[in-house]
Amino acid sequence: MKKLAVPLAVFLIGLALTAFSFFGSKKGNADDIDISIEKSAFIMPAAHRVYSNPEAMDGKYYLFKAKITNNSSETLEDVTVKYRIPNYIEWTELTVSGEMFPGQTLVVPCYPKFKNEITEKTTESVEKAEIEISWDGAAEDDVIEEDFTFKLTNRNEYVYTGIKAEEISSYADIYDNDALIACFVTPNDPVVKYYTQNLQEKILKGEAAGISKSEKDAVRFLMGIYEATRLSHMVYSSTKGVPKSTEDVQSLVQQVRLPREVITGNTGLCIELSTLYASILSNAGIDPVIFFIPGHAYPGFRMNGQYYAIEATGINGEGLGGIASAEAAFKKGQEQLQEFMKYAQMGDPRYTFVDIHNVNNQGVTSMDLKDNDFMRKKVDDIVASWSGGQQVSSNNQGNDIRLSDNNLRTNNPLSFSIPAGWQTMMNPVPQIPIVTAQVVAPDQMTTVTIYDIPVSNTQQGMATVNQYLTNFGMQMQYQINGNSISGVTYSANGNFNWIGKAVRRQGGIRIVAVGAPDYLYNQNSGIINQVYNSIQ
Amino acid sequence: MKILIKIIIVCILFFSTNSNAQSQQKIEMRIDSIGNAKLTVSMTMNAQQWQVWNSNYGNNPSALKRDIERSMPAYFLDDFKLDKDDMNRSFNLSLNAYGVCEINKRGKWIVDTDQKNAQLTELTENKYMLVSSPIEYSGNLQQTFIIELPNDAKNIKVDKDAYGKSVFEFDMDAPTSSFNFVQLSGILLLVIGGTWFGKNTISKKKL
Repeated sequence: MKKLAVPLAVFLIGLALTAFSFFGSKKGNADDIDISIEKSAFIMPAAHRVYSNPEAMDGKYYLFKAKITNNSSETLEDVTVKYRIPNYIEWTELTVSGEMFPGQTLVVPCYPKFKNEITEKTTESVEKAEIEISWDGAAEDDVIEEDFTFKLTNRNEYVYTGIKAEEISSYADIYDNDALIACFVTPNDPVVKYYTQNLQEKILKGEAAGISKSEKDAVRFLMGIYEATRLSHMVYSSTKGVPKSTEDVQSLVQQVRLPREVITGNTGLCIELSTLYASILSNAGIDPVIFFIPGHAYPGFRMNGQYYAIEATGINGEGLGGIASAEAAFKKGQEQLQEFMKYAQMGDPRYTFVDIHNVNNQGVTSMDLKDNDFMRKKVDDIVASWSGGQQVSSNNQGNDIRLSDNNLRTNNPLSFSIPAGWQTMMNPVPQIPIVTAQVVAPDQMTTVTIYDIPVSNTQQGMATVNQYLTNFGMQMQYQINGNSISGVTYSANGNFNWIGKAVRRQGGIRIVAVGAPDYLYNQNSGIINQVYNSIQ
Repeated sequence: MKILIKIIIVCILFFSTNSNAQSQQKIEMRIDSIGNAKLTVSMTMNAQQWQVWNSNYGNNPSALKRDIERSMPAYFLDDFKLDKDDMNRSFNLSLNAYGVCEINKRGKWIVDTDQKNAQLTELTENKYMLVSSPIEYSGNLQQTFIIELPNDAKNIKVDKDAYGKSVFEFDMDAPTSSFNFVQLSGILLLVIGGTWFGKNTISKKKL
């Protein structure tokens, strides 16, 4: 009997161990999961739409990013990462990974979707973000909970940088959030729209700069904005700008009154006047630009590859004295712009600008603001003060704006007008000999390409072009309609939309195509159509 | 891939579009069996490019690391290594990127290319190539991307995500799990106990 008892005991122990190995062990536990979190120090309500967009500025503006590593010997199933910000965002699932192998790392960035009401926040607060990581079969004790705090500024606060103090090495680092100023440019604000409509009607007595894309018309519009602020006795005044810090980040935090507050308060600082001008210009279909120089900012616009600026703070105020006329403010702005270009070309990092529509395309969009009857009534009062104003003309007082007419006329049957400031390169790609010339806009994206192809018709010409492009990893889709051609070129760098014309010339076909990357095409359609229409 | 493109942007910031010589850049992304990637960027330059690159990055590798980290804010990167060959005006940069691919709810491994209609050439069962000549460099720069998926990857296919961008999708089993002492001991004792018991039972019957 004893002879059987011992082996039976060994067998039973083996059975117990085997069963335990299958059913008794837990599927990972919290100690086996390594988590590291990098967080944002400040969140600006004005930029809430930027934080919610993973594509905006290549994902630069996140709330946090978590690196989660499974250090257990088990594969975890359905690993779920959730987060919440009490009072602002309820529990929200960030990701569910079907499986997480031993040693595998999961990287989870969080782009928080705040509600639009966050733009009504008028005080700064410290908020807590909570993160929860769980997986199938995890015991209640093993669900990982992490939290951290961050500063949620008020809607008017603009934090100049989010870079850690120890990492700052240049002027550009101190002003790393420059692009976010576009969030304070609010062309869709109903109050700004109402102000713009009144300006177009009462001050300008009609304008079409956004449609005609005429630089003269746009300058007249710019001066019209100045005239509106001057006639309403808008004054220059400062606001609070103080250094603030969290444990890692130290930054200057500026109170920026929103354009609607500048209009109704009838006062503004240089940056606030700049965002007001940019909002109105954008609302009218003109591409606004804000120029930054040491200690100052001023507004302007970009049209047909040229930049124009105005010194918006020329309004000063009776207490400050020296109220400049619209012509003087424009002249001063242009002088500053010349100086800006000089320093910027020398590579001085203190001279930068934000092209509002360009950063809008990168996901930096304005905050949502609700209509406000009280503010509309204030606008009505301001508009009443314009009644003594005169219609703004770009040519009064000898202020004749000189615009370049830089036309390229070749001896060949096909020619077109090149907008001022565009750069022409002859035979730019030696590997593609059929490319006679390429004309590039200052944005380095909008391009006119001239092909001379020794073939007898357009179809053959396009087939030849396509063949060359294929060798460079690109492919075209196009449609020929008479001598007009339109199409898209696909490449590893994205899609390039274009339109063009083809004509017969001695020895072959010439094709002129003008276009831009798809994300810029609509924005630049005015200049693209202008070039297209000029092709002869 | 998204990672690769961002790295390239940083690495070629110095490029002059007026240069006529075509430069070659090779970028390799090797993904391991747990979804992390080893990235290697190598390039040879002409004298002028080498001078500019050295003044920006070559003599200040921490600036290169910092700029790459900033251009890829949503990733965790480490183990940066820069090898320069001054005599031949070339460099080789390597780094690790964590969690480049992950397993979706259906258990499929996914690698995002972040490109629409990526023109991929299959080199081997798990190796793909993409050649690109960015239009903004007027054909002066040719980039060769090599993407190597794990050796154990099966049923590899190039699919599209919800935004129409190309993604790699494949199956892969869990790497061999680590030594399970309890399980092995249990099985061993089961065999020993069973054999011993059986032997003793037979010998008892014979008696």
